[in-house]
Amino acid sequence: MTVGFASGTDTLEEVATTESTDLDQPWVVVVWNDPVNLMSYVSFVFRSYFGYSEAKARTLMLEVHEQGRSAVVSGTREKVEQDTVALHAYGLWATFEKAGSE
Amino acid sequence: MAKPFRSTRRGITGALEPGEARLLGALLGDVIALLEPETGPSEDPLAALVGMSGTDADAAAPDDSAVRRLLPDAVRDDDDEALSFRRLTERSLREQKIGALRSSALMIESSPMSLNDEQARYLAQALNDVRLVLADRLSIETEADAERLHEVADAKDVDDVDSYLALVYNFVTWLQESLVQAMLKASRLER
Repeated sequence: MTVGFASGTDTLEEVATTESTDLDQPWVVVVWNDPVNLMSYVSFVFRSYFGYSEAKARTLMLEVHEQGRSAVVSGTREKVEQDTVALHAYGLWATFEKAGSE
Repeated sequence: MAKPFRSTRRGITGALEPGEARLLGALLGDVIALLEPETGPSEDPLAALVGMSGTDADAAAPDDSAVRRLLPDAVRDDDDEALSFRRLTERSLREQKIGALRSSALMIESSPMSLNDEQARYLAQALNDVRLVLADRLSIETEADAERLHEVADAKDVDDVDSYLALVYNFVTWLQESLVQAMLKASRLER
């Protein structure tokens, strides 16, 4: 991911988040890092599409950025298929897979 | 130069210079052209109705790497699975994207723009798709590649097609960043 160089308003908050992605469900949506999508935009998508808090969206976005991938949501196969297409509509690079296949 | 987008009581506002609006309109048109499906006369009307790609033949991973990035495989390391999923979903994804790109092309014709949440989201999606295509044409594959382009910040740095594309890419990046910041600010105020 990249940083919009003209921003300057993106406040870096130190967040001790106890939220984690619930991986009890059998399928997950994985978002992959790419050099084009803006960090702010990826956070925005996680907030607006999944309804995540600002802190959780940011944590997941940083996981994608730093680790190259992050399982951002879990659920039934039908749900993860739908979420993957929705993220493609936003332009994110997303795939779905069985939980724990990484 | 365009004004940054702002979150106001009347929604998200922004303004482009006429030349910038023309340039962006042309870019949006280019991405629409890339995404428009080649529909043959043999199209199965029922399949078209439910958003399924008509025949097996027209649902292959796109040849153009930019289109492949816009419509990526939903399954990794399993081409058959990825292809069968593509057959079920690609047509409607193309249409969704074209819808957002077309609405954006209309929005940027007004100056100043005043956008509701849905319009702002469409515009952010459309600007992202434009950036994905430009990045592919500029062969941005790593974060270091992207960093290097930041140096092309002014028309005086432009001496060939690539540096012109880089300047355009940086402009669209700046615009999208400013829009997303305004949207994030608006969503904080709502809560």
